[in-house]
Amino acid sequence: MMKKLRRSMLFLPGSSAAMLSTAFIYRPDSIMFDLEDAVSLKEKDSARLLVFHALQHPMYKDIETVVRINPLNTPFGLKDTEAAVRAGVDVIRLPKTDTPDDIYQLEGEIARIEAECGRPVGSTRLMAAIESAVGVINAVAIAKSSPRLMGIALAAFDYVIDMQTERGDGTELFYARCAVLHAARGAGIDAFDVVYADIDDEAGFLKEVDLIKRMGFNGKSLINPRQIEILHNAYAPTQEEVDYAERVIAAAEEGDRHGLGVISLNGKMIDAPIINHARVVIERKNASGVRQ
Amino acid sequence: MKIVKAAIAGTLESSDLVVKVSPAEDGLDITVNSEVYKQFGEQITAVVKETLSAFNITQGEIIVEDKGALDCVIRARMQTAILRGTESKEIAWEKL
Amino acid sequence: MYSDPSLTFETVETHSGTLREEIALFLKSNGLGMDDDIEQFVIARCKRHLVACAGIAGSTLKCIAVDAAWRSTSLGLKVIHEAEAQAIQNGEHQLFLLTTPCNVKAFRGCGFYPLVTLDNRATLMENTPVGIHHYCRKLRKHHQVNASNVGAIVMNANPFTSGHLYLIEQAAKACDWLHIFVVEEDLSTFSFQDRLAMVQEGSRHLPNVTVHPGSRYIISRGTFPGYFLKEKQIVNEVYAAIDLILFRRYIAPALNIRQRFVGTEPFCKVTAQYNFAMHHWLEDETIMADAPIKVNEITRVTDENNLPISASAVRKSLERNDMEAVTRMVPATTLPFLIRWLSRHPFKQSDYNLANVG
Repeated sequence: MMKKLRRSMLFLPGSSAAMLSTAFIYRPDSIMFDLEDAVSLKEKDSARLLVFHALQHPMYKDIETVVRINPLNTPFGLKDTEAAVRAGVDVIRLPKTDTPDDIYQLEGEIARIEAECGRPVGSTRLMAAIESAVGVINAVAIAKSSPRLMGIALAAFDYVIDMQTERGDGTELFYARCAVLHAARGAGIDAFDVVYADIDDEAGFLKEVDLIKRMGFNGKSLINPRQIEILHNAYAPTQEEVDYAERVIAAAEEGDRHGLGVISLNGKMIDAPIINHARVVIERKNASGVRQ
Repeated sequence: MKIVKAAIAGTLESSDLVVKVSPAEDGLDITVNSEVYKQFGEQITAVVKETLSAFNITQGEIIVEDKGALDCVIRARMQTAILRGTESKEIAWEKL
Repeated sequence: MYSDPSLTFETVETHSGTLREEIALFLKSNGLGMDDDIEQFVIARCKRHLVACAGIAGSTLKCIAVDAAWRSTSLGLKVIHEAEAQAIQNGEHQLFLLTTPCNVKAFRGCGFYPLVTLDNRATLMENTPVGIHHYCRKLRKHHQVNASNVGAIVMNANPFTSGHLYLIEQAAKACDWLHIFVVEEDLSTFSFQDRLAMVQEGSRHLPNVTVHPGSRYIISRGTFPGYFLKEKQIVNEVYAAIDLILFRRYIAPALNIRQRFVGTEPFCKVTAQYNFAMHHWLEDETIMADAPIKVNEITRVTDENNLPISASAVRKSLERNDMEAVTRMVPATTLPFLIRWLSRHPFKQSDYNLANVG
């Protein structure tokens, strides 16, 4: 069973025709079209239409697409949702998700739109973005609030303001990262880490990627294509990890063939979580090779 | 629908285009400029006309300055300019 | 957050203050001066440093500069785009830009098209490929007259006086058809609507006259801003030349105009110099290929004191509430407009008492 890799989510301003026309060549795992913070108030309408059309273009057929809508309590949020769902987006990212009610409200609108435009109801997935203290506190409930949720993301910019601090070496995100991660794991969905804004500081970026990968985050939001390769490489397994994973999978398949209830490797029992992880490792290797 | 006020959409950055619409009394007046006019001028004009027709616009001055935009971008910018120029509040999604 | 997170754009009002100083310095470091008539600037900042600016004066963009370090990026394009967006918000969709010929290509890339180039000094551009062409096409379609001797007058008519009437009557006698263009810009004492109506009423008795609204291509803030800064005695020969070349190259041919009529100008320095420029730019066959246009200066009609009747004299009399003097200087058709204007601009009681009643 293939698990969808979501290591890299590339943010694009929905208002940039140039970026929308060329971003697919960078092959991130997901592309996020932003209609919220990247777009000025007077361009909300034009960005919405750009994204509506880009989503339907063949160039985005094989990449997972995400649209970050404006919150539903703005004049833009509902129209953004209409555009995204009707254009066939894979996932809608709801910014500033503070409570499960925010998800229920969005869900209701999406279901109505899907029915109206003939899209299978339930086919549009959701991603909740946590951007405040309240959001972090409610992360567990939010993560479980809907079967449409495929992931929960931490967004640093607004969060640190809410926390009355500022972006630094990661201390300011310490608890939030843990909370969001646990909420995701508890609900069985993906967890995504924050944007690293200083695109010129590759060493700093790599350090942060290393940390969040070891913590267990599935992936990270990116704002520059240069960050994609660095991230994929950091997530790539070592040859050692690949070799072990291949042996685990071989043992599992062997066990299946013989109808064994318990599978073991080198005298140690290996159960479902270990086998699933091995599959992820192979996925990552297939996607970007082995880490040097 | 009727274009009731002058409106503009898009930018002149590479891969984008600017669409300017303004009210006119005698029919449609379409001007298309593009650095790749020779290869794509006809195509661009076709998309422009198609969009105007989908919105039932029969009068107006339309000026398009293209910088190598994809069809989907042309459509998006045309629709934005039309929605702004007709002062539409609601979007009829089937038209797009 | 994206391609340049540190770049921000804002629109600033620039009548005075430290911001104006900062922009003036920035322009100076880029070899440009600061023009007086700029109401707003769109500026770009990178980490609080000023890196680009574009000034908006009505329908004209001017004083545009980009920091040397940013010139190979698309910052110039972006700041012009922002300025255009701001101008549109101000209600100005059709924009002009005056620049040096060596910058024409750069501004072409920003959506501006050349209209007229003056020697190697200046090029007037507009933000549409079809502006002047559509205007002339409309003129040709609706107003072209089948006649061989067609003339034109451009007048502000602020207000329409007996002097204007005399000029029109003399001109109408001297040609088969007369086109009168009333300056459209609303920067005079009397509104454009009123001025246009006064000219229409004042010329109704003549069978061979068409009265046109001036359009932005005839003595407008875009083509000739100095015309509207007369009190400052600013004569901008570049703008006068451009205004006249536009007329000779585009507008006159659309209507087959062969001659232009003006009153002699004894008072106003700006108008006098403009008349002089007219002879040069319209009549001289050697300076451009476009057909020359004869310029006829018609001596102004005088009042009983042998003073030429002028619109400024009428305005002064109005201010003194001297209706007797006013009545002597304007045709009957103009009076209702002046009375209505007076009722909308009442004067202080003391002024009234000083007036010559009766």
